[in-house]
Formats: sequence, C-alpha cells, structure tokens
Amino acid sequence: MLFNYRVLDLANDKGMFCAKLLADLGADVIKIERPGGDPARNTAPFLNNVPDPERSLYFWHYNTSKRGITLNIEAKRGRELFKRLIKTADIIIETYSPDYLDNLELSYNALAEVNPRLIVASITGFGRDGPYKNYKTCDLVASALGGQMYVCGDRDTPPLKPFGNQTYHMACLYATFGILLALRQRHNSGRGQHIDVSIHECVAATLDHVLVRYFYEWVVAKRRGNLHWSNGFRVFRCRDGYILLPLLQQWETLVEWLDSEGMAADLKEPRWRDKAVRHQGIDHIIQVLEQWTQVHTVSELVELGQLMHFPCAEVASPQQVVDNLQLKERGFFVEVKHPELKSQYQYPGAPYCFGQSPWQISRRAPLIGEHNKEIYGEELGLSESELSALVRDGVI
Amino acid sequence: MAAVLDGIRIIDFTRVLAGPFATRILADYGAEVIKIQPTFEEETENWAKGYYNNWNRNKLGISLNLSQPGAIDIVKKLIKISDVVMENFSPRVMANWKLDYSNLKKVRPDIIMVSLSAMGHTGAWRNYVGFGPTIQAFSGITHLTSFPGKPALGMGTSFADHVAGLFAAVAVLAALEYRLQTGKGQYIDISQLEAMCTLLAPTLMDCAINGEVARPLGNSSARAAPYGVYRCHGDDRWCAIAVFSDEEWQAFCSVLGNPAWCKQSKFATLSSRLENTGELNQLVEDWTRQHSAEEVMVSLQQAGIAAGVVQSARDIAQDIQLEARNFFIQLDHPELGRTTMDGMPIKLSRTSPNFRCCAPTLGRDNNYVLRNLLRLSEEEIAANKSILS
Repeated sequence: MLFNYRVLDLANDKGMFCAKLLADLGADVIKIERPGGDPARNTAPFLNNVPDPERSLYFWHYNTSKRGITLNIEAKRGRELFKRLIKTADIIIETYSPDYLDNLELSYNALAEVNPRLIVASITGFGRDGPYKNYKTCDLVASALGGQMYVCGDRDTPPLKPFGNQTYHMACLYATFGILLALRQRHNSGRGQHIDVSIHECVAATLDHVLVRYFYEWVVAKRRGNLHWSNGFRVFRCRDGYILLPLLQQWETLVEWLDSEGMAADLKEPRWRDKAVRHQGIDHIIQVLEQWTQVHTVSELVELGQLMHFPCAEVASPQQVVDNLQLKERGFFVEVKHPELKSQYQYPGAPYCFGQSPWQISRRAPLIGEHNKEIYGEELGLSESELSALVRDGVI
Repeated sequence: MAAVLDGIRIIDFTRVLAGPFATRILADYGAEVIKIQPTFEEETENWAKGYYNNWNRNKLGISLNLSQPGAIDIVKKLIKISDVVMENFSPRVMANWKLDYSNLKKVRPDIIMVSLSAMGHTGAWRNYVGFGPTIQAFSGITHLTSFPGKPALGMGTSFADHVAGLFAAVAVLAALEYRLQTGKGQYIDISQLEAMCTLLAPTLMDCAINGEVARPLGNSSARAAPYGVYRCHGDDRWCAIAVFSDEEWQAFCSVLGNPAWCKQSKFATLSSRLENTGELNQLVEDWTRQHSAEEVMVSLQQAGIAAGVVQSARDIAQDIQLEARNFFIQLDHPELGRTTMDGMPIKLSRTSPNFRCCAPTLGRDNNYVLRNLLRLSEEEIAANKSILS
C-alpha cells in the first residue's frame, strides 16, 4: 500500500512501532542502528529466555518488515552518508531529545534543504517546545503525567500503570496518522514537513471519560478497581477464572436469567427497574451477581450472555489469548520465518484486514547491520574497501 | 490554505467512542464527516451531553430513520458522492439495511468502507458485542494490569476504543493513498480485539513461542530501580520516578542530599537495588512524603531523571506544558455553552487542524445535506419528512 515510499527509522523503543506500522503496509523501511545495535535489542522477553541481542522477541515484534543498517550519525563521515540516504528517503522517524539533531546540523530545515519532499516525524516525551521540552520520560512517567494512572488501580492501592508501553503505542499511532496526512499534503504541494509528536499529549488525548467529565461536570475521576466509572461493568470470579459482566444493560433480561436459576434474590422487585435505584444499590447488585457467577464457568456465562447480546467477556490471560478461538479462526497469529535459526515463530498479525493490497510481515526484524552491504554497497555504490574503512572507524 | 482532507467526504454510522473518535480526527483535518443520527434518543448519542459533544465535533449531522426504505435511498445517494463509509455496528446491521460493502460498491465502485466491530466480520464470534472494557478483557490487558498476585484491575478508561479509532483513521488514510495510486476503493474489516492484541504483542509472543505466561507486574520493572509511584505530601498525591542507569542513580542520590543509606552497598548497582527494592522504595517514599509531587518531579527532572506527577483530570486541565502547547481548545455549543476539550496532540508544520463547530444537534445539517449536497427538490424533501424526524 505504501510501496513507493522509503522510511529511515532512527527511533528508539518510543517510536519503532510507528515505523513497523508503515513497514507492514509495504513501505521500504530502513532501520538505522548505532554500531553494535539498538539498545532495544536487550529488552526481554528473549527466545527461550536466553538474553541475546538477536533474540529479543520485543525487538522482533517492533521491527518486522524492516531492513537494517548500522550508522553513527555523530561521526562526520556518518552524517555525510546519512545525507546521501536522505536524498533517497520520503520519511524519517526519530525519537531524539528535541535539540539533538539540531546540534548535529541535521535539523529539519537542514534536512529539507537536502530533500524538500522529506517528511520528518519527531516523537518526544513532551513536544519540541514548552517548559517540559527537555524533561525525560518513559512509559511510566508518560502514563502518570498523561492521566492514565490516576484512574487505574483500586481505591486503596497506589495508581497503577497499564501493562506494556501503551503510551508509546498512542504516540506511534498518532505519528503514523500524521505521516499519512503529510504524504497526502505532499501530493498537492510537493513539499514535506515536520511533525511534532508529544507522547504526553497523545496520552492525554486518549483518556475516554476523564477530561470530558471534568470539563462538563467538574468531576475528578478516581480509581475504582475493576468497577467501571459508570458502574456499567465489573470483573467477577467464576469457578475457573474471571469474567467481565455488564451490570446495568438489558436489566430485565439479566434478572430473568438469574431468576431462571433461582438466583435473582430481591432483584426481581420492580423498584430495581429504576436506573437511579440501581446506581444507588450497586453494591447489593454486585453481591447478588457474585453469588451467581461463582457457580458457573467463564465460558458458559460468556457464550450464553453473548447469545443474548450482553457485552460480557472472559478476563483472559496471555495463554487464553493465544488459544482464543476467534483469533484462530481469523488467522490473527502468523508464522514469520527466521532462516538463520532454521525456524519460524508465531507473531501477532494484522491489526486491520484490508480487502486490497494486504498487510503483511514481509520479513523478520533485521540482524545487526544485516543490510549494510546491500544499502551502502549496492545502493550508494560504496566499494568493499570504503565499507571496511567505515567499519574500522566505527562509523557503521 | 485548504485543509489536507478537504474534499474527502465520510458517511459516519458510528456510535459511542471508537468510531466517533476515528471520524473526529479525520474531521479535524478537514474531512466532511456526515454523521447519520438515529431519530430517537440514545444515551451515548445524546447531543446535549458532553461526552457526545466531545467525540463528535466538526461533524455534520443528518437525522434518518433507517427502518424506512426512503432513508436507505437517501443514504445511498449520499454514498454515491462520498469517499469513505465507517460503521461500528455488529456485522448483521449494515447487511440488514443492504448497506454492506457488496451493495455499497454497486453504488460507488471506489468507495472505502471501514467496519469497526468487536471481533471482526468473520469467525465464530463475529456477532459478539463489546464496548472498550469487553475488548480489554478479551485482549489480556485487564488481567495483566494489576498488582502481583491480585485479581484483575484493568485500565480506568475505554482505552481499546481509542486504539481501534486510531487504527481506523490510519486505515482510512492508507486506503485513500492506495486509491490515489490505483483508483481502487476497498473494504477494511477491523476487529477491535485484534487491534488491541497488537499492542500486547511481545507478551503474546513470549507465551506462543516460549510458553511463558506473563503475570501482572504492578508498577515494577526489571530495568530500573527506583521505579514506581511514590506517595507525596497531600491527599492522594503521587509522583512517578524511574531511575535506569547508574549515572541517574548518582544524580538521584544528590537530589536527596546524599543521605547515608544511598551509599550502602545493597543499593550500589541496579541488580542490588532490584534485590532490595522493597526497602529502597520505603526509603524513597520517606523522602517524597515530605514534598509536593510537583517539587519531586521538578527537582528530579532538573537532575536528568524521568519523573512525573500522577496527574488527575484537574491537574491535566492546569498542566503548564499542555497550556504552552495549546492542547485545549474551546467551542460554543447551543445548549452546553462554551465547552473545553483537547484539540490535536500532534503538530504538523504545514498542515493545521481546524476546529470549526461543536457536535451536531439532532438533524442540524439536514438542510445542507438534502438541499446543497443531494439537490433534492422541495417536493422530495416534503415527501421524505417522516423519515427525517
């Protein structure tokens, strides 16, 4: 879908998902790692739990469909090579602190002089200006300042960070959106532009009810464990695991369901039909439902509930997700070949199914410097001796 | 300058959050989004509520009773002059109206249609219904977002809706790009569950490949110590702190005034700090409790350490960084008055979003759509009156 475009991926783990999204849509993404390899290669989990920069499943996932070269852009010779690559590129994704590239004389303006059509996406903790411009971030800090954590956790627990770098994912999805907008704009104007992505803002922009309730009702949302802010959902224990149940929807159907098993208790009383009464008596409703769920298995309640259009769900562990029937039927997990390991491994597949021009993982993540010869030699025309000089001098 | 998505028309059947969020960010960049509104009131689609206003700004609204064949005819006329159709019903709904992709492409061969259902339009569970919390539970993030050994807590927001919405917006732009290259439209089937599972990939791979089943971690990391949130002075005030490298540890100690405990060998290296993390966290909190969360953040950040206040909605509304970056915008609403909401969290140097109007009240733009876009005559409009209200 994006076959005509070349992306230079200079991102660390805050931005490499953005480049993956473009790569899996067909863009020619060249991952540029520092000589020796990207530190993200040292992130667990590892294949068979053996730490090795070529065996990080974390790195594997975020770098599918990319080619990889090594390059030290802090070295003068490295910057020259980088500028030659820029002439061939459409898009750059970078995650350095705001002044880093400027200080290397690789600011957006300097790059645009080399290639006016270039689109540069800069993903930073807080954006390229403002009082927090130079603040450091990580998934924990971004989640805290961005507003996810204050409403995550229970009344009597500290605020809790959602699992798994979700703040970076928000920034990367927005960055991808911005890059595609900039490409569209370039079709009209012939010129690229600079995209300034603040992880902080991307988190604060994806808080569902939190800011809405503040600005319209002056409610400061609090932590409520697994009880939904609207009392609409809660997690319950079943015989063999946990289920997420809707508490307020299709009330009469829910009560009939419980009653058919003789477990509706006083919820049959007409007064509960009043929504306001249900909100007031939510603790009691929870008690009655708790009695009922614990004599059932998760799957029997989910299957029957979903037949009646209750939006209930299994609270799945990773194993249950991997075994999920629906994901299997849709072929969500795909096998990716790792020829050097003489094996193939299961990866999560497409986040969207395009009717035309299918999404695909075209290759596994690159090994360190795997495409140095191909790109520096065959494409930029460097000779063997030039290449070995660059290796010797630590440029690549 | 014309907005970047000027001339792109989107027919929007979506409700609640995932779909409306996707079409909102497209509308912010100039797409003409026409929201098909039901003629009866629904809680999540009540135009006098902040939630609806927030996720439906910049859109046009036309009220249509889709149980009437005349309304379907109007929709088809609209689709004929549109580029994109987005819907987030369960799979039966559009097909029942004969508005599924196979029918729409007869009306407009290069139409781009996005379905944003809970489970996707194929597979045994295709008719499962779900809101954000449902998707999050099925995806594993609810189970994994908790403290060690504790039952699932899960996220405090319908995060999965934003995830699906962003993937949908990206998919629309990718499909528009493909249409520019080939002239072809296409159907895009998004399973909200699959979109969400993508964001848990390393953990799912660890399970599928290594057989390792991850458990909730709380706020802990194998790569940093101190790492977590620490209680500060005041009621429910916390600061997140993450100390990764030895250099950062030295800087951290000097912010605290190099107390004697900092020099103990059990805290000298990352691995020893991780081994003694309980004791370390207690000592750190003895310090943070004496200061406001803001003081802790600023003093640590000045020393080059990642730290941040655990911000509530009120804190975010007063956040000086967000203010400096013009994160919030205001729009007037006929019933709600002046409303405040987040604008756009990314900034493109040559392409601005445009915040034109609040969410449509019921049928606000019927006139524009019927007269200006579809060029219906007065007689035709009069004949269709019953399907519009």
